[in-house]
Amino acid sequence: MTAALLVSHVSKSFPGVRALDDVSLTLSAGSIHALLGENGAGKSTLIKIITGIHKPDMGEVRVNGEVVHLANPRQAGAAGIGVVHQERNLINRFSIAENIMLERLGQHDLSVINYDHIHAEATKWLKLLDLEVDCRMPVSRLSVAQMQLVEIGKALSLQSRVLLLDEPTASLTENESKVLFRVLRKLADDGVALCFVSHKLEEVFEICDTVTVLRDGRNASESQSMNGLVRADVVKMMIGRAERISRRAPRPKPDAAPYLELKGYASAAGHSNISLAVRPGEILGLYGLVGAGRSELAKGILGMTRRTAGEVLVAGRPTDIGSAADALHQHGIGYVSEDRKQEGLILLHSVLGNVGITVWRKIAASFGFLRDQTVVDHTSPVLRKLEVKTPSIYQTIGNLSGGNQQKVSVAKWIAAGVKLLIIDEPSVGIDIKTKAYLHDLVHELAANGTAVLLITSDMPEMVDVADRIVVMAGFEVRGEVENDRNYQRVSRSIMGYIHDRKAA
Amino acid sequence: MANIVLTRAFDNDWIGPALVSVFAIAVISFFQPSFLTPFNIFVLLSAIAVNMLVALGQLVIVGVGQMNLALGSIGGLVAISFGAMMELWGFPPAAAIICGLLIGAAAGMASGFVIARTGISAFIITLAGLQIFKGINLGITEAQPFYGIPQGVKDFGNLSLIGPIPWLVVPTIIASIAVWYLFARLRIGRYILAIGGNRNAAELSGINVNATIIWAHAISGVLAAAAGMMLVARLQLGHPTIGDDWLISSFAAPVIGGAILAGGHVSVPGTFFGVVIIAIITQALVVFAIDPFVVQIVLGGLILWAVGINRLREVRVSKLLGQKA
Repeated sequence: MTAALLVSHVSKSFPGVRALDDVSLTLSAGSIHALLGENGAGKSTLIKIITGIHKPDMGEVRVNGEVVHLANPRQAGAAGIGVVHQERNLINRFSIAENIMLERLGQHDLSVINYDHIHAEATKWLKLLDLEVDCRMPVSRLSVAQMQLVEIGKALSLQSRVLLLDEPTASLTENESKVLFRVLRKLADDGVALCFVSHKLEEVFEICDTVTVLRDGRNASESQSMNGLVRADVVKMMIGRAERISRRAPRPKPDAAPYLELKGYASAAGHSNISLAVRPGEILGLYGLVGAGRSELAKGILGMTRRTAGEVLVAGRPTDIGSAADALHQHGIGYVSEDRKQEGLILLHSVLGNVGITVWRKIAASFGFLRDQTVVDHTSPVLRKLEVKTPSIYQTIGNLSGGNQQKVSVAKWIAAGVKLLIIDEPSVGIDIKTKAYLHDLVHELAANGTAVLLITSDMPEMVDVADRIVVMAGFEVRGEVENDRNYQRVSRSIMGYIHDRKAA
Repeated sequence: MANIVLTRAFDNDWIGPALVSVFAIAVISFFQPSFLTPFNIFVLLSAIAVNMLVALGQLVIVGVGQMNLALGSIGGLVAISFGAMMELWGFPPAAAIICGLLIGAAAGMASGFVIARTGISAFIITLAGLQIFKGINLGITEAQPFYGIPQGVKDFGNLSLIGPIPWLVVPTIIASIAVWYLFARLRIGRYILAIGGNRNAAELSGINVNATIIWAHAISGVLAAAAGMMLVARLQLGHPTIGDDWLISSFAAPVIGGAILAGGHVSVPGTFFGVVIIAIITQALVVFAIDPFVVQIVLGGLILWAVGINRLREVRVSKLLGQKA
């Protein structure tokens, strides 16, 4: 039987990164295929190649045996490849039927829409999906799970014979997931080839027939049957690196009182029952997969989302941090955002303008006058120390390399002399040398008594840098691991915490 | 249960403005019974007829999630072209009206084309358009009005259809129904709202975003043209300042009527009551001989009130959807 979708020997490079290296994948009609891998293993790139967003450098994609060259998502749709993205792509105020039929509302722009026809068509798909709602209802009244089903209906209504689902259960409850799985199974029985991306291994074992695991952009397994596999095998394929020996020795545990402590913290963003403490001179790692609620927790600590329960203690005192400005100026807490370009730096401004932003308030003279020279005096020692490579401090920061930009975004907090620095995904998009340099820098900061909260999805980085690791999943703390730099042991127990408990 | 009924009523865009309109009319006519004389009603309806077209012109662009700052200058350009065609070239009114509408469509399409092709924000492009169209207007007129308006056109702008109802409401009623139909039933109207609601999703669904944006601006230009020519009929001259004061009320009426400025949601009946409220306030000023500055303040307050209600709804919807969506 020809495969419904065959990806063979595909490679894809981005500047500085080989995202996919000789990767293959086979989807067959009537079966549900799991695509697994850690963050950064290449899953997203592979999906983007299958859906025509990226073009592969090498290798080919075949649909029903025919080679296809997909230049954009519309061509992928025309080739019968439907996709349900992780983020919702519905128009909330439109009805369910209109959303499903959106690009087929009429032949041309001035067509009068035949709503009877649209509703009849949509009802057909809703019935197939066992979704018992009135298709004239606006999408905004649906639950997240129902919206998910509507998107599946939309993808299927384009005659898709291949359906990719990127983390469809990420925001569903267990019951909702069960309903979804029943539908997926039914679709598979009808001859659709499904590809299911998930971080929840329970689900994968529950519904998938075959599995492809990616690791570091390569196949750790290729379209292998799930028969006979147990969870430990899959986890091993996902982590699977040879044992790494960290070059750092574990550091002695500081015995100072915690600078920041959360007790039973819950937030409006959805966190519940979060307890953790970070001491001066300590590097506390916060590990979790994408969507575990780590960055959201950082923003909660900065007072950007409302606390709904529990306590936040800064230097031992219960504190209510109202805003990021409060966090910096009253409590000495800084945050290096994971999204350097959107939240960390003002790309159009100079290096000086970016690094000085945290100290303006402190060094402004009477009437708030700021002289460039004062800012230079305060910030240039830090810039020199971090070896930021820039032709001049007046250079627009958008022109610097990613690594140097990252140095500046750390430098601005060092210049401010923060007591607690939250660093979110510090090594996204920077080269290995700068990465190592940043790791040294974090250690140096800690050695000088700064408390550091490190958020990263990069397991080797976590094992290399953190002293202790708190594991998060589903906006909760799942466990804590003492880091003895034994990669195998630490990564196993972290993955254990993430996967062992049933998804809530 | 009562709560649900209240929520439904609250959800309906036009009920709030409608109640405010009725209340304002009641209060004003209580203090000043002459407010509801046939003559005053005639004046009020004439103003509403023109302003409704202006508001509809902006509504279409708000629906796609943009702004049209050039609305007034397109209306003004068409108004003086309309006067010039009849006075200088002796066009019969019907031919001049058709040419006027075409000029409006062309000016709108030009803005839309530049916005779609360059990807520069509509705010900037239509700001430039405002200056260009106004410049052409002044170049043609040398700031002098056209007085040679045919009697038929003047009559259309100043005679009544039945009792206190002016002829001017006829094109406005037709245009209002057409725009309502556009958004409710025509593919292009739904695409305008789809792009305003979630451009990314619309694009991924295969909607031709650029073509739709050009369409929206063309429709907006036609409506501005109609409003400009109706003002010529009403004022009995093609004055170069026509359209200069449309901007604020063109946004205020749709927003009071429940339109979301970010796009994706508009209401034609709501906009109608928004126009009525603004017209009543302006009239009250004349009736009570109040300082004009009070009107400005009240109008500003109304916009804040309308936007506040909008925001409340958004917050409620996002709570319903949960943080995860």
